[in-house]
Amino acid sequence: MRKLSHAVIVLVLLFLLGPFVIICIAGLSSGETLAFPPPGISWRWVEAVFAVESFRASFTLSLLLGVGATLAALILGIPAAYGLDRYRVPGGGILRNVVTAPIVVPGIIVGLALLRHLLVPLRLPLTLGLFLGHTALLIPYAVRVVSASLANLRVDIEEAAILLGASRARTFFLIVLPNIRAGIVAAFILGFVTSFNQVSVSLFLSGPGVTTLPIDMLFYMDFNYDPSVAALSALLAILSIIVVLAAERFVGLSRYV
Amino acid sequence: MFDRKGIGMALALPSALFIALGFLLPVAILLAASFRNPAGIGLGNFIAFFTDPLNREVFWRTLKLGLAVTAASAVIGYAMALAIAGLPRGAGGRLVGLLVLPLMISPVARTYAWIVILGRTGIVNVALKSLGLSEEPLRILFTETAIFIGLLQLFLPLMVLPLISALENLPADVVPAARVLGASWLRIFLAIILPLTREGLVVGGTLVFVGSLTAYITPAILGGSKVLMLETLMYQRVTVANDFLSASVISVILIVMSVATNALLRKLAAGRSVAHA
Repeated sequence: MRKLSHAVIVLVLLFLLGPFVIICIAGLSSGETLAFPPPGISWRWVEAVFAVESFRASFTLSLLLGVGATLAALILGIPAAYGLDRYRVPGGGILRNVVTAPIVVPGIIVGLALLRHLLVPLRLPLTLGLFLGHTALLIPYAVRVVSASLANLRVDIEEAAILLGASRARTFFLIVLPNIRAGIVAAFILGFVTSFNQVSVSLFLSGPGVTTLPIDMLFYMDFNYDPSVAALSALLAILSIIVVLAAERFVGLSRYV
Repeated sequence: MFDRKGIGMALALPSALFIALGFLLPVAILLAASFRNPAGIGLGNFIAFFTDPLNREVFWRTLKLGLAVTAASAVIGYAMALAIAGLPRGAGGRLVGLLVLPLMISPVARTYAWIVILGRTGIVNVALKSLGLSEEPLRILFTETAIFIGLLQLFLPLMVLPLISALENLPADVVPAARVLGASWLRIFLAIILPLTREGLVVGGTLVFVGSLTAYITPAILGGSKVLMLETLMYQRVTVANDFLSASVISVILIVMSVATNALLRKLAAGRSVAHA
């Protein structure tokens, strides 16, 4: 029984993580086309990634979009989570459903709807559509993670602060916010990673000059069969691993996933 | 819980308005378009959509792959969760970290790895050839099998993680008690573990099934332009044919499947806890 369960664990982890090892090796290939095992090892395709102009532009856009949309989602989501958790709100159930609705709407629909029925009629730029779509998508995550942190924070200390004469705003900024700091950091990291890796929302909101990194990768691999996408995938995977390990160490990220 | 109703409302309203106007309204307009046809308002567009054999094929393929991936991840998920539950606590915690890790990595990167593995010059074909098992490279890429493998790798952690927490809530002595009383492992699984961890299975099943139905990246990379699923069909209709009507019909189908699965499975989970009480 013990041997069997060890075998299960090893096989499942091999299935889940093995492909990363392979893509890292394929990205270090010295050959012209994608192949495994590669004919030799070199850094040429890793260097090639940094030389592709569109990858640099789309990486910058993804980075700015991830930070901007996550901050906006937190600024909107933290008060919403606090208001719905700590106050009796008439129609609170409906409000909660509205705020978490983006979770059940497939991303590709959001992208097309924003493009056709918001950006085109109002003549707004694609980047605004990306920002709106990503922010809406991230609000439910922000609300959920912050609610989870609030659930672990006793209401008594807030009541004590108010009884001792602090205003509600002062109580929130001096008592509540510092106590849910870890949850907010976790929500920021989760939100940023979700936005940065997002494909389906961004699909219809991309156009000439406005492309996020994952969409750019999809387009690039349609026309190229060289190992540069493998090298880029490996770089992104390594970057994610570093972020996750750092987050796990400092805020215990996996508690919030 | 504080009583000042106005404050709570004022705090929750900005994000509710943001989502209602910037998100739900455009989506509602898009969905509404699917019910309007030259003859008036009705289901005509849906009937026309399903009359096309290609559309039907894509619809059934999406449903079939969704069910297959959910079933496979449930079987593997239980095996994995039970194996991890048998480990000492610290080791189990580290393994949970290894299961969360792939969820944080770009799905494009995760899926692209399978091109390297399953392609004509990939590992599988190189191995088959060097073992002398097959002269011609095996065609795995751009088939349903490739999409199945890709989806399973993408979504398996979403099944294992809820099952692990469900197993953690299982009372520690029930399984040894059943064992002492002579129940077989199969009977223990079916009569004790399965009913007591059903909520975890429901949560994981919803995530995996809806995730597979609404997948874009996996069929786009591993299915190519021939083996379509609903989302890749929708993208192709819009970009190749400017066919926004089919796109809104597919949107309604996707939303209905996603919302119905969520509601149905939530009801299943709730029905169980009511019966339990």
